[in-house]
Amino acid sequence: MTEEKKDLASQEKKEVQSRTEYTVPGKKYIPATDIVETEKELLLYMDMPGVKKDSVRVNLEKNVLAIDGQIDSSRYSGLKPLYTEYNVGHFTRNFELSNDIDQSKIDAKMNDGVLVLTLPKVPEKQPQAIAVN
Amino acid sequence: MLRRFSSALDELLAVQESVEAARRSDYFGRSTTSRGSYPSVNLFKENDDTVLTAEVPGFNKEDINIEIKDNLIRLSGVKKVSYPEKSSTHRVERRNVKFDRTLKIPDRVELARVKAEYNDGILKVVLPMAESDKPKQIEIN
Repeated sequence: MTEEKKDLASQEKKEVQSRTEYTVPGKKYIPATDIVETEKELLLYMDMPGVKKDSVRVNLEKNVLAIDGQIDSSRYSGLKPLYTEYNVGHFTRNFELSNDIDQSKIDAKMNDGVLVLTLPKVPEKQPQAIAVN
Repeated sequence: MLRRFSSALDELLAVQESVEAARRSDYFGRSTTSRGSYPSVNLFKENDDTVLTAEVPGFNKEDINIEIKDNLIRLSGVKKVSYPEKSSTHRVERRNVKFDRTLKIPDRVELARVKAEYNDGILKVVLPMAESDKPKQIEIN
């Protein structure tokens, strides 16, 4: 496959397959996510089109990072569907973190439907040189 | 062992089902990949206007182009996914995207009144029907 073909291939939205059922109707999707680590922090980029800044919930409990983004379905009210290729729904995804994260300094930004989460790592203890007497 | 009594109609139904399954898959599609075209679009009708929406998160507004002629609408754009320097990737699911897609909509478009907006990663284009395509009420004398 050439580079361009690879770029053109779109990813289909994946619906959440969960054992538990939801009490409220509506579809939930798994947001496409990139995870990147730098020296000081862990960065998560998640594609959540249609989710506004204030409707994202990020929760970190016992190393499990839970991200939940609600879409505003009023965007589609009064519209009669003619032809549809995708469905809309909320986004949700959980990650188990292996690094120790400084919970108080987690930062979240939303730009054009992409959630950027910055999780600062707890500074590791410096290796200590033991002097030999 | 009990076997289900099979009739010709059952056979026919099985054929019908497999034909429909083949039609649903994009095996016979025109593209070389089986992933469908990017971006996926939805078309809606709002009064006389056609409304097009597409989920295209992470683009710069300037990198999306929309061209319209009669009832054809062409969408194109580029997105580069970038990370900070000196970083290692653990998981990569988002991709660089370069797309070019042309769609035919039911009615011709009144170009002067077309509106496009890009909010929260969703592109929305409102395409009003051209006056010449609107039905006219004829009075009876």
